[in-house]
Amino acid sequence: MTQARWKVTFQVSRKKEETSSHFDHFVVEVDPDEYVLDAVERIWAFQDRTLDFRHACHHSTCGACGMRVNGVEKLTCITPIREVTHEGGVVRIEPMRNFPVISDLAVDMGVMYIRMDNVGQHPVNLDSLEAVQPEARPAGPDLHGEEFPRLSDCIECGLCISACPITASSPEYLGPAVLAGAHQHGIKNDEQVLRMVDCEDGIWRCHSAFECTAVCPSFVEPGWRIMDLRKQVIGIRIKQLFGGTTARKIDPQEASK
Amino acid sequence: MEKNLYGPKSGEGTWLWLAKIISGALVAVILFIHLVVNHLVAPNGLLSYAEIVKYYQNPIIPVMEILFVTLAVPHALIGLRGIILDLKPTRAILNGINWLFSVVGVIAIIYGVWLILTIASRGA
Amino acid sequence: MSQITTQSPLTRAAKWFDPRFRTVNMLGFILNRITALGLTLYLFLHLSVLSQLAVGPGGYDKFISIIHNPLFTFGEVLVVTAGMMHGLNGARIVLNSLGVAIRIQKMLLIVLLSIAVVISFVFAVRMFLV
Repeated sequence: MTQARWKVTFQVSRKKEETSSHFDHFVVEVDPDEYVLDAVERIWAFQDRTLDFRHACHHSTCGACGMRVNGVEKLTCITPIREVTHEGGVVRIEPMRNFPVISDLAVDMGVMYIRMDNVGQHPVNLDSLEAVQPEARPAGPDLHGEEFPRLSDCIECGLCISACPITASSPEYLGPAVLAGAHQHGIKNDEQVLRMVDCEDGIWRCHSAFECTAVCPSFVEPGWRIMDLRKQVIGIRIKQLFGGTTARKIDPQEASK
Repeated sequence: MEKNLYGPKSGEGTWLWLAKIISGALVAVILFIHLVVNHLVAPNGLLSYAEIVKYYQNPIIPVMEILFVTLAVPHALIGLRGIILDLKPTRAILNGINWLFSVVGVIAIIYGVWLILTIASRGA
Repeated sequence: MSQITTQSPLTRAAKWFDPRFRTVNMLGFILNRITALGLTLYLFLHLSVLSQLAVGPGGYDKFISIIHNPLFTFGEVLVVTAGMMHGLNGARIVLNSLGVAIRIQKMLLIVLLSIAVVISFVFAVRMFLV
């Protein structure tokens, strides 16, 4: 932490049930190496106790603190203030898009959680099953050839859904997070999930904007996963045309290949 | 929301999308040839009735143009329908769009083919 | 989600075309959508205008003399530009959907759009100076 102190104005979007949304301004003295979430917490603690927002782990594991900072989706616990403004600057803080706003910066993510459940997204996965884009990042430590369980990359923060232009116009679109979850779960041995993704609300609604991948604070790369799902679905459907079987129960460890 | 698990037939699946991209790829190729041939190779760039009729006497040209219209129209209409799907229309509206686009598409293709053959026959 | 469905289709559609605070990829999406709409319009216009050919030399040649006008030529350049952008960006989307070149898709987008601009420029020069 530096010794510097900046005076930064935070334009925070406010909306309670009775009121329409508007911006409140808060001037906060911050250390530029602190994070945007720190500033929001300090606004709540010392200036306005009616400010509603979500926060939990404070280290990009829980996915609770997603917001839009100066119009861009960010996980605020890992967004240094230095990155988004300067001394005397103004930072605009708004809730994520494409989720109903419950209050101020807190949005209702229930639909996303339900859908993640429906596609079988696993919060904990065997390392080998957490498919990664080839050459995207090096494989984990080699524990003498053993597989080890680890937390799934996706922290269900919803930033990708906020950034997706199609979710903006079609709330029925499953969205990048859910499709990425389906990809992680695997469609080759689950007919239900296959049908969920191979439809107008699934992978065919994506138009390759790749805004989701751009804002993902973890290593999910939903854009790649949706494209990979397309490749898999096309392969499956063509095989079915030529008499291949549909869903088959196979060893889950094979499914991820 | 979860009705797509057991609910009504999907408005867009693998096959329609494949039709869109395959027609798109072929359109791109033919369009390139269409532009080069019609406007760079053809004498004077096909700017008069007489030139066009003469140009259509070469049998490759009507074949290419018929292929072009048969691919371009479905590609445009499937794509347009996709954009409409992004607004999540109701089943009823979507069925209406399906019907309308099918009719418009068929009429456009028939008209295009008719026009091409008519022009080609004018030089006989 | 209910707050979205209560918005009119026009409001929701307008969100597609807002490039603010977005990456260059969003530009690709916006351009693809605008060119798609423009080219579809042009396709049907083109088809109906060519009916003048069936009328005969009187109809078609008169039509040609009308469009020998810089405004129309500019419109035609726009069509070529739209076609190039839509086609090349479309090629990127097809490649991505088959699992190819996803890692480099952003760079590919920039390269392809630049190529489209260059080709359009060449066409524009030819059309205005010949």
